Amino acid sequence: MSCSPFDLRDYLFGELAERERRQVELHVRACGGCNEDLERLRVTHATLLALRDEEVPQRIGFVSDKVFEPSPLRRAWQAFWGSGARLGFASAVMLSAALVIFTFFRPAPVAGLAAAPPADTARVEAVVAQRVAGAVEKAVAASEARQAQKSAELLAAAERRYQEQRTADMERVKEAFAYLEKRYNTELVADNRPGGLR
Amino acid sequence: MIFRAVEDADLIRKARRGDVEAYNLLISRWEKRVYNYLLRIVGDREEALDLSQDVFLKSYQNLRKLDDPARFASWLFRIAHNEAFSSFRKRRLEKPAPEHPESTGEEAPMAGPAAFPIELSIAVTTALGKLSEDQREAVILKIYQGFKFEEMAEILSCPVSTVKSRLYAALDALKTQLAPLKTRGVT
Repeated sequence: MSCSPFDLRDYLFGELAERERRQVELHVRACGGCNEDLERLRVTHATLLALRDEEVPQRIGFVSDKVFEPSPLRRAWQAFWGSGARLGFASAVMLSAALVIFTFFRPAPVAGLAAAPPADTARVEAVVAQRVAGAVEKAVAASEARQAQKSAELLAAAERRYQEQRTADMERVKEAFAYLEKRYNTELVADNRPGGLR
Repeated sequence: MIFRAVEDADLIRKARRGDVEAYNLLISRWEKRVYNYLLRIVGDREEALDLSQDVFLKSYQNLRKLDDPARFASWLFRIAHNEAFSSFRKRRLEKPAPEHPESTGEEAPMAGPAAFPIELSIAVTTALGKLSEDQREAVILKIYQGFKFEEMAEILSCPVSTVKSRLYAALDALKTQLAPLKTRGVT
């Protein structure tokens, strides 16, 4: 019987936690009996591993064999439920159900609302026509007033521009006239000098 | 460490959507392990191959029932276990066999000497054949397939304590049977 703190077989098969493994290793170093037990287990384990795996004599793939494949209907169904269309389909089903429920269980219309007397309708139409005509008249008047104001503003602006242009032209004429007068006087003085006559 | 561009979980998801090629790739990753597990359980290559095909077919048909793709290995071996023991039951109905082969000294069906033509392999095969079916399967799942106790319990549908009990009883028996090999210098 082993006196190891943990089962040596658990140690051999790697079933112990790291801390437990270390305790076993420490114990086995100090205990000759447990060391021998562990060695015997290792030998048995190594002997068993001498029996090697065999290669599979024949591939087990079955891609080409239709027997192993699900039917096209089943595949389509599985692909459908495995895809994002599932959510869309569920939503459509919910919506359809809601429509059906609403169709069969919608509240009944309130009596009296559906069939209003024709006299009221004519009166309402007359009032509406009157109000529409009033509103149109008011809108046209407002539009005309805006147009008149805009025209007056444009006219005033043109007048201002004309006056400014005229003033500027007059200034330029005055400057030209002054220049000519000055030049005439200069030449007149030169002609009156002795020997200055050409 | 082996780098896999596509993980098993991705292949499982694709296969669930009807992608047979993805499932075929999954098979290529697991067929050797499943085949060798079944070969060591039933001891006949042809039967192991037939059972392997059944295992992968059932796995494909039930792939949508696999809740967690990360547990594919134990789920697949659970199917393999069921197939193997279903085959045993059929065999017993056809030809009644003793409950525990080691109690009568008659060997359980294992791969014959031609399968592993060296002395050590024969000795190991014989020793494994003398174990009960439960014990042998525990040894195969642990030593040859490397499953953890928790996974073994899942595959065998029994508590971890039962798994350990079967495995350790088998180890004791194997230690005794295989010890002379060392003294003869085979190892």
